[in-house]
Amino acid sequence: MNLLKKNVLKKIGDEAMPFALGIPAFLWQILFFYIPLLLVFILSFPTFSWEYFTPFFASEYVSVIVRTVLIALSTAFFCLCIAYPIVYLIVFKGGRFKHMFFLFLLLPFLTTFLLHIYAWMFVLERGGVINVLLQSVGLISEPLHLLNSSFAVIFVMVYCYLPFMILPLYSSLEKFDKRFFEASYDLGATWWQTLWRVLIPLSFPGIRSGFFLVLVPAFGEFAIPELVGGDKKMFVGSIITHYTMGAQTASLGAAFTLLTAFILLIVVVAVYGITVKIFKQ
Amino acid sequence: MTERFPLFSRCLSVFWVVMVYAFLYIPIIIFFIFSFNNAPFPAPWVGFTLHWYRALVYETDIWVAVGNSLMVAMSAVLLSSCMSIFLVFYAVSRSSKIKGLAAYFYGNLIVPEIVFAVGFLGLLTMLKVPLGFITLVIAHTVLGLGYMVPILYSRYCELDYRLLEAAQDLGATQLQAFFTVTHPLLKPSLLGAALLVFIISFDDFVLAYFCSGTTFQTLPLYILSMLRVGVSPIVNAFSTLLLVLSGILVIIYSSLTIRNRIF
Repeated sequence: MNLLKKNVLKKIGDEAMPFALGIPAFLWQILFFYIPLLLVFILSFPTFSWEYFTPFFASEYVSVIVRTVLIALSTAFFCLCIAYPIVYLIVFKGGRFKHMFFLFLLLPFLTTFLLHIYAWMFVLERGGVINVLLQSVGLISEPLHLLNSSFAVIFVMVYCYLPFMILPLYSSLEKFDKRFFEASYDLGATWWQTLWRVLIPLSFPGIRSGFFLVLVPAFGEFAIPELVGGDKKMFVGSIITHYTMGAQTASLGAAFTLLTAFILLIVVVAVYGITVKIFKQ
Repeated sequence: MTERFPLFSRCLSVFWVVMVYAFLYIPIIIFFIFSFNNAPFPAPWVGFTLHWYRALVYETDIWVAVGNSLMVAMSAVLLSSCMSIFLVFYAVSRSSKIKGLAAYFYGNLIVPEIVFAVGFLGLLTMLKVPLGFITLVIAHTVLGLGYMVPILYSRYCELDYRLLEAAQDLGATQLQAFFTVTHPLLKPSLLGAALLVFIISFDDFVLAYFCSGTTFQTLPLYILSMLRVGVSPIVNAFSTLLLVLSGILVIIYSSLTIRNRIF
């Protein structure tokens, strides 16, 4: 009887320890992640009415949201256009130096993100390198107004989010079976046909995850637009920061956050749906 | 296209590769060059000097910020890797894998950081917790969990469960089986994920801006304040130093792991 009790207790003890160990992660997650999200939700409805949401349907906020969505989408698109060829070339034509190329591709991004913004501010500004170079060569007569514009924002954002696109593409293309190429050529396809009918559909999960890995953070970004986008509050992130860090406007900040998170969700679902339709995956 | 225009496609490929690498390295090179410039920042080249590097050594604020960033990153990595290992151990000890365990943690990556930061700040102000080192570590650990749990769990799911069964058949308890069989197999992913979380936490700017309060400054916040006030080549010198350090680490890492494949 005693032995039975001892065995049962041992079994429970054996089960209890892993359970106790597994708890901290779940607790942490619930306490410090799900509750804050719930709080955003709660803070925006303090009086159970839409009162904190209505100011945001004014046209200037709508234009900010639209601008943010468009810039985030174009950032993701340009990142894809730049990253896909280079990853393709590295993976399939890199040969022995594949890993070195890849490491050197990611090396610039080991320095702090903000330093890159700083560097591009320096390069793009009035007295900066590009303008000085173009002027000394004689192509332009007065400095180009590159900084403090949407162009600068998209440019710097593409630069900063490129590794987020490169990594999923690389891991996806690495796993690609090269024999598909051979099979496709054997069946008479040209390189272009192979690209569009074999490679891209099969690497599509990587493309999609890279696209969303760029789109979602780009939507919430506020450092880049604040620093290179000029003084106007052009991005969703800047407005959220402005309201949340302000004294009495926390509820407004929470309401706007919720609104934009909802819009981001709609955009993501829409893009996902469109890609599923096109590629039937 | 490659068969019909071999020379053209080769030139195009080389051109594209060169352009992309140039695009990536232009700011770095400019930083590098201008950190030796004998004039305050956006000014054309005057003369060579190491003056800014010397000034960098004496600039205490930046080193305090770097120290803070390192401490936060280390703590976040430690906490999140411990918790995710324990979580994987918990998942392992069940006879059937918990379906979609990692899914509870995907939200950390899907939700934009700024939304999470707003909520977290709201929670902290509601509980009247003073902002500082600890709150930032908590926030970064949440981020870290979001990276580590999916990586570790998916790696664990790819393991051959028969190895664990074999270990237990040979008489290991669950704990022993975990430490002698599962853990060494997970170790590469664990190290990779830990490095990833470290870099992300070190670089993280949004959460630091919201959750670290006014007295605690991490490196990105320091750089932001310098950018707003007016920059000086000290930052150039610092970033060159950082780049050289990262470059050395990368070269060491690659020479350790791919030595057989390149040379």
